[in-house]
Formats: sequence, structure tokens, C-alpha cells
Amino acid sequence: MGVYKIVLTLGLISLLHSGYSAAQYRTFLRISEQEFESLPLDISIQAIVSFAVVVYSILSIKSDWKLIHATEIGKSSWDTFANIQSFYSFNHRGKALFNPDYTQPNLPNMDLLN
Amino acid sequence: MMNEDLSFSEARDVLRKWRDDNERKSDEVVQVFEYCLADKVKKLGNEKLIILEQVFIASLDCGRIKLAEDCIRVLISEFPESLRIMKLKSMLLEALERYDDALDVLESIIKRDETNAGPRKRKVAILKAKGQIGDAIKEMCDYLKKFMSDQEAWHELCNLYLMEGDYNKAAFCMEEVLLHNPYSHLIHQRLGDIRYTIGGQDNIEIAKSYYAQAIKLNGNNLRALYGLYLCCNHIALSKAQIAKRKEAQKLASWALQKISEITEKSTGKSSNLTGVSALEAAFGNLDIKTN
Repeated sequence: MGVYKIVLTLGLISLLHSGYSAAQYRTFLRISEQEFESLPLDISIQAIVSFAVVVYSILSIKSDWKLIHATEIGKSSWDTFANIQSFYSFNHRGKALFNPDYTQPNLPNMDLLN
Repeated sequence: MMNEDLSFSEARDVLRKWRDDNERKSDEVVQVFEYCLADKVKKLGNEKLIILEQVFIASLDCGRIKLAEDCIRVLISEFPESLRIMKLKSMLLEALERYDDALDVLESIIKRDETNAGPRKRKVAILKAKGQIGDAIKEMCDYLKKFMSDQEAWHELCNLYLMEGDYNKAAFCMEEVLLHNPYSHLIHQRLGDIRYTIGGQDNIEIAKSYYAQAIKLNGNNLRALYGLYLCCNHIALSKAQIAKRKEAQKLASWALQKISEITEKSTGKSSNLTGVSALEAAFGNLDIKTN
């Protein structure tokens, strides 16, 4: 891992250097009053190669990737998955459990059964 | 409960989290709203209306009709013509057990917008609330002929069939949900549950593979591990081929080991042998006995 850090630094310096060279080339053209056609080949190659080196070394340094799971594990439980709001029905014990003003409906007289 | 101590923004965030995670938690929603947000409804900004809708449904769930009426009054004044609010109104009627009035409201919504799936689903919910499961199933089948890709509806139809004890049809509906969501361990686990409940050698073999797939997708699914253990035990004691029985026995002990690992991790206690054997004895009693 330490090697890759050095490679990364070198790559970054090389990338910066190629950018600096490109800027220098443009100033040189302006001073010598020539038309700009394209960058010299060596600068382009240096930029591309050092970019590839930087990408590779970053990938190698930070390589403890996490697996992508097909489902969001841990987040979804049966409770939330099976909770279907469009089909809620309110005819359940909730009104007796959570409503402080709940009064029990009159039960039919059970004495007759005895 | 801690809900009284939440600050304004904490309360708002917790309600949003429950909304996003699709939690029911109706009692908690009502409490958080009443203690922390009720006096500052105006401060909620553009979240105000969605929170009011959430609290409205939660308060119906708790039978707090007065709070629900307060919420819907604000919503109606904001959107007097909205179909979504009309659906909420029908839900209020439903909670008051005025089912015929609720149905009238729903019919008028469907007449105005035939593509609106919500009110059609509520019609099924009303039949379910009245306890007419058979009619609810019929209504749901009609609905699914028109809206075939509605995953929630297939899931609910599965629940309705389970209430009726019609396990084969319930399994069919769950398979339909699985098609929409092939990598969900929960659906595999549920299908395993249904197949195991049907019973019989073939179904238990199928249940075993469903449970195995659920564990492959999520190794921490405890219920699937228990299910796999039960299926393997059943196969090990059955009249299957010897190789198959041996393999099932191995798998059962693996499942049991995984279970004790997970429970150890969550309780922080190291497992002792008596615990495992007690578990084994308990599961021996749970196993389906074929007479």
C-alpha cells in the first residue's frame, strides 16, 4: 500500500506537470505568434499515462470495497415490508388500546345464556 | 416513552424517517405529533401537509377521531377538490364504521378518475374490515385483472388467502410478488413458510430450497435459518434416500450452529450446551408430525 501512495504522488505530479507544459506551450505559441493546431504528442501521452497511473493507484490504495447487495440488508424487515398502507383497516383493537376516551360498547346481556 | 423530550426538528425528522421506512407505528406518530408538533404546525413549511396526512392515518389507526377531524379540516381547506383528500374522507367514514357512506365516496372518486387505483384498493379494505374475506378476495381479483403489476395488491391477496387458509393460492400470489422482487430474502422466507405450512414431503423440499435461497441472500435472516432447520430435520427423519437424509442432517446442524452464533452476538452471552439442547428439544416439538 505504501508503494502505491508513492506511485500516486508521482502520478499526480506528472499530471500537474503535463498541464503546466500544455499551458507553457500555449504561451510559447502566443509569443512566437503561431496558430494553435494541436498539443504536441509527448504532452498528450504524458497526461493520459499519468492519469491512468493515478486512477490505478487510487483504486489500489482504497481497495477495501464493500459488496453491493441486491437488497438493502438490515434496513428492510418483515415488519416494514409487509406493512401495506393502501389496505389498512381500522377495525382493530387500536381504538381501545390507544384512545384515552374509549368507552366500551354495551355488551349484550350474557345472563340469558346461563 | 421518550417521545415527549424530542425537539421540533428531531420530531420532524423522526416522522420523516418513519414515512420513508414505511413503518406503521401509529401510536408513536400520534404522540410525537401531539407533544412536539401540534402547536407549531405552521412552522413545518412545505412538509406540513404530508405530515398532516401521516398523522391523520395514524390517528384513525388509534381511534383518535377528533385529532383526525382536525387534520382533515386543514387539508380540505387547502385542497377542497382533491381526490386524494376525498379518499382520506372515506377512510374517516370507514373508521367510524359507516362503511356504506365510505363506499359512496369511493364510487364517486372512481367515477371521476377511472385510473385511480387507491379508492379501488380501499374498497377491498372495507370488505376486509367487515370480515367478508371471500368478497374481498373476489373484489381483489377483479382489481388485479385491471392492475396486474400492482405488487402491493398481490401481497395483500396473499394475506387474504392465508386468512382463508387457502395456502396453495397464497403461494401463487407470493410467487407473483417474488417475480417483481427476485432478490428479496423476505419473500423467499415467506414462500418457505407457506410451503412448510402446506406440508408433505414435496412441499417441505421446496420450502427447504426457498429458505436456503433466503439465507443465501441474507445470512442473518433468523427465521429462515429456523425454517431451514425444521425442514432439514423433517427430511432427516423421513423415508427419503439415505444420502439425502445424511445431507439434511448436516445442513440442520449447520443451521443450528448459525442460529446460536447469531443469538450469541445479539445477547452477548456465550452459548452453553444446555441452551442448544433446549432449543433442539423445543424444535423437536414444533416439527410437523405426519400421522
